Amino acid sequence: MGGPVWVTAVNLVIWTGLVLWLLRLDRRIRELEREP
Amino acid sequence: MAAVIWAAFHWAPLAAGFKGESSRILFFHVPMAWVSFVAFMTAGVQSARYLFGSRTPQDAQLDRSAAAAVEIGLVFATLATVTGAIWARIMWGSYWNWDPRQSGIVVVLLYYAAYEALRQAIADEEVRARLSAAYGVLGLVVSPFLYFVLPRLGFSLHPEPVINAQGKMEVEARMLTVLLASSSGFTVLFYWMHSLRCRLGAIAARRLEEEN
Repeated sequence: MGGPVWVTAVNLVIWTGLVLWLLRLDRRIRELEREP
Repeated sequence: MAAVIWAAFHWAPLAAGFKGESSRILFFHVPMAWVSFVAFMTAGVQSARYLFGSRTPQDAQLDRSAAAAVEIGLVFATLATVTGAIWARIMWGSYWNWDPRQSGIVVVLLYYAAYEALRQAIADEEVRARLSAAYGVLGLVVSPFLYFVLPRLGFSLHPEPVINAQGKMEVEARMLTVLLASSSGFTVLFYWMHSLRCRLGAIAARRLEEEN
């Protein structure tokens, strides 16, 4: 048991990166929604 | 998500009959395929609500919601196809084997790519919304057939689905836990992405209205 560490690391980087990017996008959209 | 990734690679056991570590791709491939199905069903439901609703200007949101679901569904269906092909290369020796499930996903991709083409081809907003809603509603029949019926009609190299033909789940408990957690995570991710895409669409529509 115990998969290759590098595959775990790559997956963590990809998915964490996506979540962070979505959080940033969410913040930007909220700003745009507030604009008159 | 981080916990699921760690569990997929370090906590869940390897599945019997799979080469090397290849069974771990299951924790990503299955949820991606599942989410693409959820997305296409969401698109179908929103299309039906648009088509059979009052079709007030507010209903444009339903049209945007259906279109957003298809866009994201196509991304996840492509990812499911790619991860499936990688797994097929390890297990069956080649990326593509025209297995019924592989053929099914190709038709799904073509069906929803045609939805996008249809939307691009029509300039009039209302006609576009009405025609793509009719096409999206048809997807409520097409998608379940291609995902669940077609692969079971003939011989398939594909492993038994998580819920097999007898309606039972014959998956090791820890694998099932990770699989369900991963599927839930991906489903939440889909609805989050979908809501962001809808909100962006609403902003774009508002700006367009202001310009005209």
